[in-house]
Amino acid sequence: MLTKIAGGEIIDPVGGRHGVGDLWIEDGVIVDPPAGRNAETTVDASGCIVMAGAIDIHSHIGGGNVNTARLLLPEHHSAHLPRPSETPLSNLGWTAFQTGRLYAQMGFTTVVEPAMAPGNALHTHLELADIPIIDKATLAVLGNDDFLLSLIRDNASSSMIEDYVAWTVASSRALGAKVINAGGSAAFKENVRRFSLDDIVPSYGVSSRKIVKTLQMAVQNLGIPHPLHVHCNNLGMPGSVDTAAATIAAAEGVPLHLAHLQFYGYGTEGKRRFSSAASQLAEQVNATPEITIDVGQVMFGQTVTISSDVLRQFSARGNAHPKKSVIFDGDGNGGGIVPYRYRKDFYGSLQWAIGLELFLLITDPWRVFFTTDHPNGAPFTAYPALFELLMSKEARREMAEGLSASALALTTLLAIDREYTLEEIAVMTRAAPARLLGLKDRGNLAAGAIADVAVYRKGKDIAKMFGSAAFVFKDGELVVKDGEVVAHRWGRALRLAPQPDKTMVRRLEAYHQERYGLSLDWFDFPDWAIAREQPFSEVACAA
Amino acid sequence: MSRLTFTLLSEPPERLDLSPLVPARLASMAMHEVEKIRLGVSKHSLAVGDVFRLSGADVSAIVFEGGSRRFDCAGALLDSGTIRIAGDVGAQTGRRMSGGSILVEGSAGPHAGSGMSGGRLEILGDAGDFTGGPLAGELAGMSGGTLIVRGRAGDRAGDRMRRGLLAVLGGCGDYAASRMIAGTLAIVGGSGRMPGYLMRRGSILVDRMPQMLSPSFVESGAWDSVFASLADRHLIAEGIAQEPLLGRTVRRYCGDNAVLGKGEILVAAQGS
Repeated sequence: MLTKIAGGEIIDPVGGRHGVGDLWIEDGVIVDPPAGRNAETTVDASGCIVMAGAIDIHSHIGGGNVNTARLLLPEHHSAHLPRPSETPLSNLGWTAFQTGRLYAQMGFTTVVEPAMAPGNALHTHLELADIPIIDKATLAVLGNDDFLLSLIRDNASSSMIEDYVAWTVASSRALGAKVINAGGSAAFKENVRRFSLDDIVPSYGVSSRKIVKTLQMAVQNLGIPHPLHVHCNNLGMPGSVDTAAATIAAAEGVPLHLAHLQFYGYGTEGKRRFSSAASQLAEQVNATPEITIDVGQVMFGQTVTISSDVLRQFSARGNAHPKKSVIFDGDGNGGGIVPYRYRKDFYGSLQWAIGLELFLLITDPWRVFFTTDHPNGAPFTAYPALFELLMSKEARREMAEGLSASALALTTLLAIDREYTLEEIAVMTRAAPARLLGLKDRGNLAAGAIADVAVYRKGKDIAKMFGSAAFVFKDGELVVKDGEVVAHRWGRALRLAPQPDKTMVRRLEAYHQERYGLSLDWFDFPDWAIAREQPFSEVACAA
Repeated sequence: MSRLTFTLLSEPPERLDLSPLVPARLASMAMHEVEKIRLGVSKHSLAVGDVFRLSGADVSAIVFEGGSRRFDCAGALLDSGTIRIAGDVGAQTGRRMSGGSILVEGSAGPHAGSGMSGGRLEILGDAGDFTGGPLAGELAGMSGGTLIVRGRAGDRAGDRMRRGLLAVLGGCGDYAASRMIAGTLAIVGGSGRMPGYLMRRGSILVDRMPQMLSPSFVESGAWDSVFASLADRHLIAEGIAQEPLLGRTVRRYCGDNAVLGKGEILVAAQGS
């Protein structure tokens, strides 16, 4: 079917298009304007902007920890019965199915779950398969697992480590690899409670730095498009800026992605020994071209923090609100679920401002990514409000009025005049994520790209514009109209398929038999286990 | 002014959420607006006028003539005024009420007085499980006020109770005052197995030995305290009991030592 999206302002930084024009779609892909043919369906996009579907690179939408959070907070479910606005916790706690709908309504068409424990891969993919409309992807978590730490301790060759990473990514159907507080969770099991980049994991004699560097090189050499996704040590601690700075410096010219950098923008100045170090961090990111970051912006209100950084979550459990938490000191990373309310007090105001400083002071929109680390900084439903803050200094000033003045005085936020342009938004949320993840088929509106298109009606109210898209197309099918979901379809999980080495598979089989008394088959699964017609879509590794 | 009276026309065809029918929410409404309030929770979306005939005008004293097991959340969030229900009610009657009084002349379903923090809720018939208890995921149950069940209460009455008085006069099911944080549960008519299961602090007053006492409770020895006679006097003065519950000799068991262990079960010696 030939569809024409007529008369919208097309913003496609990759194709260099910016101006009013038509966009043509046929058979799920974007096509050049066909000569001499009329569209079977025409969508009137006058007064609208037309962008590629947005891509979220870091949002915890499925997997074991997400379900544990649901178990911990059953009152969130009742908050979604008929009277949501009158009940506490009404802004989070929706189902997997609702996740897809809410993302699509905002014009997002691809979302990455960034922390899949490889052992949880089947469950994670089953859950992601229940999320409609959008395409999904996962990152496999490595770096605290006994097998890898033992390889590093025993000075295994880099090709052996690459074989292991390749097997993990392939068997867990991931799109990349992530390391969470490298070595920190393993050290936690030995009662370590503070762990930095150059600290040594007891029993393995391996430093956190060594783990990060090893995985970074393995990802690079395997040709995995997405650079190693790093959740640094010391998340959320005053002075964590030093850890982030050391990690950035450790990239040494090879691509590295730092997740939710906001949580590392903390200095130790002021009488509370808690201050903004965002400008220092932004400067360093600007000067280090191999680094990409996502922000993990904090927005105010109730949320729940979900992390496989068990060491961090263990120390944060005293701040839980409501006062309950789950700490899971399990195999590999373990994890922790700590509900939290971001208040407009000194600490909350500072965190909020630091995130925005990073957004605004990092100059290259190709290297800074739009996230709230859902749900850790805020649920993803806060995105429209965040777009407004980025695009309007007036909105920032208005918001700042209700916040802690002494906190904001420690930041540069109110002195920053920068406002994101629509073009920059398109880069940050479409073009750049596609390039970062190696997804050549999306994030742009050139002929041949899959027809994931978001159309927003222009208006003064930026939050409203991005909160409820006028039209959204997924693979050429109209799925959202005037902010309402009009069609459900099942997306796919994007995955890499590096070929695992046979010797490594034999070795892993022996390891799992010896350690767990289980066949390696327990840690792999056939595609048909995900009962969808086409559950996965393969993304190519670089040669 | 005569009391605002909701006369039940017939057994409702679906569960009803009666939480809008409290004085604070009806105070500024005209009668025809009240009739349009949606009560149904299914796609039938029944309104007040479909279920009740209205009469009277004084919203501070509300009467339901006729009750049903399908009446949920009656008197929820009540903060002042009175509600009388001449019949049965369903779940969560008086949920999170903070003042005023509710009288249920029939029996109540589960979670009666759930999370109440003040006021008085009296049920003349039986009550279901989790009387005064929290809903799933909430950290505390009843945190104040007086809750009286004249009939029998189901299992786990006073679950996670934090403050206030819960009196059950027709006996309790199993695990009364389970996970109790503090407060007082008075039981006439005996209790089922393991009262005070995982209680941290608080007092359970019971007129005879429970069917089974948890092994993590220990008898504290001879006990001499004015608390028993004070409690007895209070129960009589409040019109809750006719005669002393504990009497002169009391056996005291402390626990639950599986957790904090600062709670107590007081048993009237003559009944043991």
